[in-house]
Amino acid sequence: MKINRRGLIKSVFAAGGSAALARPGKAAAGVEHFTGNPDRYGCLTDLTRCVGCRSCEAACNEANGLPKPEVPFDDDSVFEHERRTSEKAYTVVNRYDNVRTDAKPVFRKIQCNHCNEPSCASACLVNAYTKTPEGAVLWNKDLCLGCRMCMLACPFYIPTFEYDKPVPKIQKCNMCHDRTSQGKMPACVEACPMEAIAFGKRSELIKLARERIEKEPDRYIDHIYGEHEVGGTSWMYISGVPFERVGFDEHLGVVPFPQYTRGFLSAVPLVLVIWPALLGGFYLFSERREELDDREKSGKPGERA
Amino acid sequence: MDTLFDFVTYTKGIEYLIAVAFLVMFIPFWFLATSTRAPQPERAAAAETVGRLEDMVGGFLVPDSVYFHPGHAWARVDDHEPDLVTVGIDDFGQKLVGNIEGIQLPDIGAEVVQGARAWNLRLDGESIGMLSPVDGEVVAVNPDLTLEPEKINRDPFGSGWLLKVRPTRKSANIKGLLSGNFAKRWIDEATSRLMENSEYATGPVLTDAGPSRQGMARTIDAENWDRIVRDFFLVTE
Amino acid sequence: MSEIAKDQGAVGDWISEKIFMGMSLSAYFRKLITPFNVIALLILAVGIPLIVQRYIHGLGYVTHGSQNQPFSLFLGWGLFTGVPLAATGFIMASAVYLFGMKEYKSLVRPAVLTGFVGYFFAVTFLLIDLGRPWRLPYPMVHSFGPGSVLFLVAWHVALYLSVQFLEFSPAILEWLEAKRIRKWALAITIGATIFGVILSTLHQSALGALFLLAPGKLHPLWYSPYIPVLFFVSAIYAGLSMVIIESTLVYRFMKDKVDPKNFKTIDDLTIGLGKAASLVLITYFCLKLIGVAHGNHWHLLNSSWGFWFLLEIFGFVLVPCFFFIAGVRKRNVALVKFTAFIAVFGIVFNRIMVSLVASSWSLQHAEFLHGKELLVVVTVVTVEILAYRWIVNRMPVHREHPAFPGGGH
Repeated sequence: MKINRRGLIKSVFAAGGSAALARPGKAAAGVEHFTGNPDRYGCLTDLTRCVGCRSCEAACNEANGLPKPEVPFDDDSVFEHERRTSEKAYTVVNRYDNVRTDAKPVFRKIQCNHCNEPSCASACLVNAYTKTPEGAVLWNKDLCLGCRMCMLACPFYIPTFEYDKPVPKIQKCNMCHDRTSQGKMPACVEACPMEAIAFGKRSELIKLARERIEKEPDRYIDHIYGEHEVGGTSWMYISGVPFERVGFDEHLGVVPFPQYTRGFLSAVPLVLVIWPALLGGFYLFSERREELDDREKSGKPGERA
Repeated sequence: MDTLFDFVTYTKGIEYLIAVAFLVMFIPFWFLATSTRAPQPERAAAAETVGRLEDMVGGFLVPDSVYFHPGHAWARVDDHEPDLVTVGIDDFGQKLVGNIEGIQLPDIGAEVVQGARAWNLRLDGESIGMLSPVDGEVVAVNPDLTLEPEKINRDPFGSGWLLKVRPTRKSANIKGLLSGNFAKRWIDEATSRLMENSEYATGPVLTDAGPSRQGMARTIDAENWDRIVRDFFLVTE
Repeated sequence: MSEIAKDQGAVGDWISEKIFMGMSLSAYFRKLITPFNVIALLILAVGIPLIVQRYIHGLGYVTHGSQNQPFSLFLGWGLFTGVPLAATGFIMASAVYLFGMKEYKSLVRPAVLTGFVGYFFAVTFLLIDLGRPWRLPYPMVHSFGPGSVLFLVAWHVALYLSVQFLEFSPAILEWLEAKRIRKWALAITIGATIFGVILSTLHQSALGALFLLAPGKLHPLWYSPYIPVLFFVSAIYAGLSMVIIESTLVYRFMKDKVDPKNFKTIDDLTIGLGKAASLVLITYFCLKLIGVAHGNHWHLLNSSWGFWFLLEIFGFVLVPCFFFIAGVRKRNVALVKFTAFIAVFGIVFNRIMVSLVASSWSLQHAEFLHGKELLVVVTVVTVEILAYRWIVNRMPVHREHPAFPGGGH
């Protein structure tokens, strides 16, 4: 979806207009509260079910037409090192030691978390990211300059850049937006033999996660990762071991990242408006002082200081 | 600290303390940084200094628009005061004598005669006379020179002017003065004369380091510098 | 036939006078062989092919190509360090034109030139660093992301570059002896100055604001909501110090291109700049402390990162502050000049820390330097110095053009 200047202005007015219409008769609240599209989709990964078969990786690779990797998907040796997403792998599974039982290691799938308030989108100077109503955060190859600001902004270190191509792209998971638009599930969800990933409405998934935790409190840690982190993400996790032990960052806070730059950005129009008068004032003041100095020096009668 | 409220109360308190401490400390800091007034550089706003690359001869300014007397005084007609001439000491002259401690100028209304002694420079216990470049009546003297005679050194053709004179024989006077290329050649010759007298190369050294406080004459001969100066200024005392 | 010959002669004369500074071709090329030029040529001979390779093979050819650390020296030096060091223009222009400190007039044009060249080459670094540099105009004309701080930076750098060019154009027009256009260029000086200060305030601080989006990635001692203010304030003393450094170097190595009058005043001016810089430095020091207080990060000072932070604020901020004061009080111009170098080094240190080092403090494996990156940076900086020198040699930057006495403005 290409957003050009006209489209952006139209969508800005549309958003404002529909916000005004959506709450008829509601007094101006004065407190901001953004819910996002309540019907957006999400995914819930249950780490207690993942066995590290990497079928999700294979399915993602095929669905997105990515080049086949050197090490095949059924090879366990990749688990020796903690991997991150790359331009050839939108999702990877990592293995961690299980602090509760040695017998069964824990596996964790990483991919874009499709945040409610994406930091990458906020960072992009050409508006190349879109948070779709369906929940997926998409990148637009027709606008990207390759500045890599989104890579700095993402708290999860997800977007990858094609350093080895003269015409490079940013690569990341797109929640199989094409497939979900046709009513299908993301490729990784469908491929999982253990049904470790559930796909559906985000609001429903939260209820599902809470149910599972309540039903088996010994099995799960009482926390849904992604429910509130960085303002909430579309892709959430429940786990049997503390999240920190499985490579999750538990110090991200609940503030949506775009909020961090709002303070500075709100000062910008103030400077633009106040500085001209302020600086012009300095100029006039110093000119007047010089004029008075000159009059004094040449002994001419002039205005009283 | 469990709540944001506690956190902010504490940290904001510390921030305010630091800011107040800074404000208190800033007052002595200001005096520390600004008390020794460095001599303020001249305001170039009036831009009367006529110094251009092309006017340099071996390190001395010889502006085109100025008429020089062989005793190293100059006269200039200014566009906005065509009835008057401004009079001063030239760049070679001020560099020759070095830092001028005081100057004895004629009174307003006094008469000056071209080639006759018109004012005295005071430096190093000596009083050196200089010859007027024009005939006429003194209508103004530079008031700044009583307190800041070093203006003559700093800006001999601009803010270091000495007198304003209403000339009585302007065209005749001008015929006896040097300007343009003639003036440049004359300064060139003066420089050569000076260098014959000394072992140092005076030209480029002076351009880079600014006016030497003791002047070229004292550098050459600390004992008999006044004779050298009077020689160039064409005076006997 | 003779008309054509005359025209050709006129063009040849113009080139000979303006480009080759009045020397014949052979004399000019002979004069070019100096040790500095030879070294510069060697650097260019290695660096320029590297840059060409970067465009053929992709960015990974010259950087460490890390997915976890997207920024390299090209942005760390070229943009984040280069921009505050080019703050000279707006500082000197506002000092002279807005605050009436006319005694610094001889330093305005060189400062504007330093600023213009600095920003121009910051854009050059951007063109090397961007994945798709041909799309550089996109945020200006094609697609807007107004919620992005980088959007602000892009607009402001583009506008500011134009403003600096306009402010410098009288010098170019004097070189070309275009009287009428020059008059118009002079008339817009005050407006351009005010606009330049507005732009500089915003983009110097915006460069810092970029890192607000990386709270977990930038080490807490450097991360604070005050980053934009810290970047802006440090840019001020960076600019003041760069003016001192630039005039020191030019007055030493390019004496014949400087108006002899200026030699009399430069020492006083240098002292004055040092005085101003000391005030800004002490202010900046206090702001840094407030930044630490704001996040209550005092305990972090007792760590290896804390050591670097303390080194930065004491060694590269407080120490130059007091050296400047000592130099000012004792009229020790050499000390003031030396301190300017320390202050600028402090800026480089701070910006590299924020953009590269401290922003990967939580990574297991962090790489900062890639040999080829350094080579490319050195190459571009060499071109920058050569370009600056080329302009000062020919145009009335440190001196007045004989046909335009008073230097305009």
